[in-house]
Amino acid sequence: MTYFDYSNAAYPIRGDIADAYRAYWRKLAAPGSWWNGAQRIAIAQESRNALACTFCAQRKVSLSPYGLKGEHDHSNGLPEVAVDTVHRIITDQSRITQSYVNDNAALGMSVEAYVELVGVVVAVFSIDEFHRSLGMPVELLPQPEPGEPSGYRPAVLSDDTGFVPMIPADGAVGNESDLWSPDFCANVLRALTLVPDAMREWRDLADVQYLSFTGMQNFFQDEARSINRMQMELVAGRVSSVNECFY
Amino acid sequence: MLRASAKINETDIDIQGVGGDVSSASQGIEFGSQLMRFAESVANRDSQALGASRQALLDVAGPLVLVDAAGVAANFQRMVRIADSMGIPYDNPDSSLGQQVRDELNLTAFASARHTLKP
Repeated sequence: MTYFDYSNAAYPIRGDIADAYRAYWRKLAAPGSWWNGAQRIAIAQESRNALACTFCAQRKVSLSPYGLKGEHDHSNGLPEVAVDTVHRIITDQSRITQSYVNDNAALGMSVEAYVELVGVVVAVFSIDEFHRSLGMPVELLPQPEPGEPSGYRPAVLSDDTGFVPMIPADGAVGNESDLWSPDFCANVLRALTLVPDAMREWRDLADVQYLSFTGMQNFFQDEARSINRMQMELVAGRVSSVNECFY
Repeated sequence: MLRASAKINETDIDIQGVGGDVSSASQGIEFGSQLMRFAESVANRDSQALGASRQALLDVAGPLVLVDAAGVAANFQRMVRIADSMGIPYDNPDSSLGQQVRDELNLTAFASARHTLKP
């Protein structure tokens, strides 16, 4: 099956977008670092379930995001702690805390698994959002590939930023030397680097949805885009503001 | 980044467009009000508003602009969730530009400000 075939789409969608989405779908279906292919697809499906979850809607308007008890509208294939995490990332992400991440680890979902789960959720969600914003149905999820997760963990990590260990700004070396250049690193680039492939996956999507790391240095007009940098940043800023994102 | 790009482009913009003010969004930015409304309706997940804002942007700017704007909006639907799920602080909280934008848009009211502005 050919995924992301935009030949009959209502709008002229760039070929590099379709290519990047197809490439991500292949990675999504394959075993990751801490979840197998079937689990990664289940995480992706759960990111879609969250949008229609009655309990999430109730919790979103609750004063305390951790006091309300209930059951999510969910599919099978993931432990309860993972279901709750996926739903929270989609519907109430600004109230995730260090304690929540720590408690999840105590319940059996390691910080490494948490980071990979976040990576899958946000990648699939952003692709789905692209479709929804253009009035198109979401893409059929791929069939999982067999195999076991690699268990890969970077050699150089630090605990000085955020909820989980991350590769330090000067730590993109060895197997991770492709992640960023020595003179270009922000916290958001480091955020998912406990699972380097999670960072690589969102970077490849950002290249086509927004700008490449190199392109981010250009504050005028990227030749491959129809909107200039100010127009991009207005869109980015409004989306971030509605989501109440301080970063 | 909007303020920085406007400064480099030597263009007067009104940062309140990020906060949802239509006339501010238009200042110095072509199709600014339509782009802002489109981004807002994507993030709010309001299907009725999204349909209307998509058509409005299409009417004034054309399909190429619409598709690229959809890409940016989708990208930042992802990025805000990465930042908040990982609890990362803003990189340069003491920069004058950052403080100015923070004050003008009242960003400290956001729950996720706690990752940067720790007591």
